[in-house]
Amino acid sequence: MANTAAHDATHDAHDHRPQGLKRWLYATNHKDIGTMYLVFACVMFFLGGAMALLIRLELFQPGMQFLDPAFYNSMTTMHALLMIFGAVMPAWTGLANWMVPLQVGAPDMALPRLNNFSFWLLPFAFTLLLLTLFVPGGAPAGGWTLYPPLSLQAGDSFPLTIFAIHLLGISSILGAINVIVTIMNMRAPGMGLLNMSLFCWTWLITAYLLILVMPVLAGAVTMLLTDYFFDTAFFTAAGGGDPVMFQHIFWFFGHPEVYILILPAFGVVSEIIPTFSRKPLFGYESMVYATASIAFLSFIVWAHHMFTVGMPLAGQLFFMLSTMLIAVPTGVKVFNWCATMWKGSISFETPMLFAIAFLFLFTLGGLSGLMLAIVPADFQYHDTYFVVAHFHYVLVPGSVFAIMAAVYYWLPKWSGRMYDEKIGKLHFWMSAIGVNVLFFPQHFLGLAGMPRRIPDYATQFADWNMVSSVGAVIFGFSQLLFVYVIWKAVRSGETAPQRPWEGAHGLEWELPTPAPYHSWDTPPPREVITKGAMH
Amino acid sequence: MAIDAERARRVKRSAVLLGLVAFAFYAAFILMAVLGLRD
Repeated sequence: MANTAAHDATHDAHDHRPQGLKRWLYATNHKDIGTMYLVFACVMFFLGGAMALLIRLELFQPGMQFLDPAFYNSMTTMHALLMIFGAVMPAWTGLANWMVPLQVGAPDMALPRLNNFSFWLLPFAFTLLLLTLFVPGGAPAGGWTLYPPLSLQAGDSFPLTIFAIHLLGISSILGAINVIVTIMNMRAPGMGLLNMSLFCWTWLITAYLLILVMPVLAGAVTMLLTDYFFDTAFFTAAGGGDPVMFQHIFWFFGHPEVYILILPAFGVVSEIIPTFSRKPLFGYESMVYATASIAFLSFIVWAHHMFTVGMPLAGQLFFMLSTMLIAVPTGVKVFNWCATMWKGSISFETPMLFAIAFLFLFTLGGLSGLMLAIVPADFQYHDTYFVVAHFHYVLVPGSVFAIMAAVYYWLPKWSGRMYDEKIGKLHFWMSAIGVNVLFFPQHFLGLAGMPRRIPDYATQFADWNMVSSVGAVIFGFSQLLFVYVIWKAVRSGETAPQRPWEGAHGLEWELPTPAPYHSWDTPPPREVITKGAMH
Repeated sequence: MAIDAERARRVKRSAVLLGLVAFAFYAAFILMAVLGLRD
């Protein structure tokens, strides 16, 4: 290990790091590209967050206060598109770029130029999407699901939106190809698949999901495009088409997409909980199989999003039961995380706090998902705020908290600096309180019958909406602390040791801190791999 | 060197294969919709 580290340190001293703008424009280094993805995701997170705050501002009181109803609809649509495709997915890709080569002992991603292309598609895609705010007819307002016939009534924003979705789809597919090819071909000699970190495993499975479902979304929006411009009638009933078919195709993409957003979070949490419990992960192999099972099941549950369109009883039963089945591998994971902590010597640094919050709150989001899987119950809950509460519990204290946990966890390795633990903890507690005040009341609103995607509501819903909006302000503004704590760490944080977390295992911790610009030019020796793979 | 060349071949081959799988899914879903509507 010492030899490898010494080699890397020496190499770093004379590495050829490009300077200036060219370093970023022509970047092929996985660390630079990872950083660009993460910064991009952060910018999108704040833009999408600003839109969410506008939504909550309008909903603070009943009646129309601030926003035009059409603009309100655009805000809900754009918020979702930005957060899903602009913030969470690029953040995971950024983390994969940074960590996969470090964790498999590879010098870089397998296809570095493709990697550059994948990233640089994104700013163009989102510029197109954001430009729709300024075109006649305004930004897309039919919801992120783009259901026809409503989406086909859009104005000039339509082609821009479709083109943007195609671009970001291509970006995701190319990124996924890169991850799979890297993991399958670039692992250090001696590193079997079952020696890999859980983060690499969950990303590998996520990448397969991406390759199989992003083209399906592309197919669906291509057909929307031809319906709009070339008088085809895939989804227009007047021409013999079927709008419900769009929903089937969309959700065949859309449900695996949910797992694309959450599987890497399972990987991150599976790294952090053992580290701060100072115990190996309980049930490593069962974690891998559970992740694969969840991925498989994600392909056969899509119609639970559309029970209310009407379908045969056999279809309802199949999709209800297959959806409930997902609780089994998910339960395995939750059990394993709890078992890992059991009798561990736990300490509560910021990454661990976010991971534990993930464990509680993601499970809560999963439970409300089980409620929604029950067909007769779903007939009541469909398109209410209960659904909004459910998927926000999965995505915010689920995916977003896991991303934040990952950033706090690996920042010392990336930057060579420690973050301020006090501010980190303050950020955690503000976020944890804010997120619950924001989303928990939305369960009550939904159960009481408040529909989603409306700018105005009956006065009976006023109180909980006010509470929810207060939560939004707390959660939203506390994210400024996140930026501050990272900025402060990178600028003037204490120097981080090679292994800042006592219980950390994994190849990345065998490298010097900060990780050299070129790492693992020489593959790690087998004993380092064995040591790093202590699950 | 030979190992590197072999690895480069494998990388290229698997990347192209995965790209083809993605394209097949894209085309298949459109084709399925076309055939489905014709029925």
